[in-house]
Amino acid sequence: MALTQRSIGKSRHRMILLVLTAITLLSLDLSSFGPLGTAQRLVRDLLHPITEVAGAIVSPFSDAWNAVFDYDDLEAQNRLLTERIQQLEGNELAVEAERAEFERLRAATGVDVRPDLARVTATVVRGGVGNFDDDVITIDRGSQDGVRAGMAVVTNAGLVGRVERVDATTSAVLLLTDTDLIVGVRLADTDEVGLGHVDPDDVSIFIVDTGLEWPEDGNESLLPALDTVVVTAATSRYPAEIPLGRIVEILPGDEDMLTMHVRVALANDITDLGFVSVLLAEGVDQVPLDEPVPSTSIPLTTTTSAGEGS
Amino acid sequence: MNTPVRLGIVFVGALVIQLTVFVDVRIFGVAPELLALVAVVAAFFVGPERGPVIAFVAGLLWDVYLPTPLGVSAVIFAVVAYVVATLNEGLFHDTRAQLVGVVAVGSAASVIGYALLGAIVGEGGLISADLIVIALVVGAFNAVLAPIAAPIMAWALAAEVDRR
Repeated sequence: MALTQRSIGKSRHRMILLVLTAITLLSLDLSSFGPLGTAQRLVRDLLHPITEVAGAIVSPFSDAWNAVFDYDDLEAQNRLLTERIQQLEGNELAVEAERAEFERLRAATGVDVRPDLARVTATVVRGGVGNFDDDVITIDRGSQDGVRAGMAVVTNAGLVGRVERVDATTSAVLLLTDTDLIVGVRLADTDEVGLGHVDPDDVSIFIVDTGLEWPEDGNESLLPALDTVVVTAATSRYPAEIPLGRIVEILPGDEDMLTMHVRVALANDITDLGFVSVLLAEGVDQVPLDEPVPSTSIPLTTTTSAGEGS
Repeated sequence: MNTPVRLGIVFVGALVIQLTVFVDVRIFGVAPELLALVAVVAAFFVGPERGPVIAFVAGLLWDVYLPTPLGVSAVIFAVVAYVVATLNEGLFHDTRAQLVGVVAVGSAASVIGYALLGAIVGEGGLISADLIVIALVVGAFNAVLAPIAAPIMAWALAAEVDRR
């Protein structure tokens, strides 16, 4: 059936209206227009009971699919977990003995892990729903449980990510594996602070690539030691110093050896999470102005002397 | 039951299946896009006048769950639906094979369009080497599901199809 000129004109007008509506919605959402966010939350909250029931019904099917197509992975995971349990059981006594040493080291390094912070434990309901949001998980705790956007999400091993979106009974968590998630960190050994993100090529590695300076005279003995613990900076948007991992490699950040890049092996396996905790405290969004912030710019004296020399 | 109610049931059903079954059931790590499937099939059945509107609403519902701003999927689905419906009206005869082909191409195009527009509005990480693979797998996955979706959409759109 060929289209008449009238119907072509009508459908074009409708398309223009739809595009204009979409542009309006995009603009409002990008400018965090409150009622639009509330409406989206309402839709998710209304549909949550349905998805929960449907999830329970189809879970045997999903499990069967995973069992068939990811059997090798499951077997390998099971073997690793068995080994891990045995190792942990063996370590139990050693841990008791090392607790006092840990407290001493914590006092020496000044790492403020604040175990007293209120937290809520959550189950991971699902991973990313689409094909482009692998770095987002949904947990079964929401605003009714005191969860707010921006709160830190952790496991006993350390930081996992940040609460991105909160509904009444669920929340979306942006994982550290999102390379756009920048985290302020402190090297426990040297007290230096910097900014970093996960390595896009290897999500088990965190790279601190902003804010760290190579020792002025190139004295490598002043570099932080390998294996140094790296924690989130207390002046970051996180409420406490949360462990991230240990340094595995230190590299010059540029040819002139002015800056330093530090590669950190993350303590958490963020790609396989079942349970997490949300720290029910909010950090600061901005580093206070009176706090010293390391700079990657060339010190004024160096610039002056270079200028004099030329 | 009138058409909007039927469409509402189909949209919510597709969304719930997407959020439960296809979080785990994936091929090469890629899930089908059921709301895109619904949008393309609707356009195939009802043409360029009403198809884009139905596709827009389907996209809007999907946007509520995606990390990109509201409206990205909606506008892409509407544009794809418009193109699909216009080409379908002007060039082809309605056959099942044609529906499968249109769904494959339309779904893949909606994935690419979503990634491009998402990147334009500042969402990082959408454009990568995997994009083509994701688009191809989504196209193939949705094409396989098209014969199941077609009678469901025909039921939902019975009054609209009769009107044409």
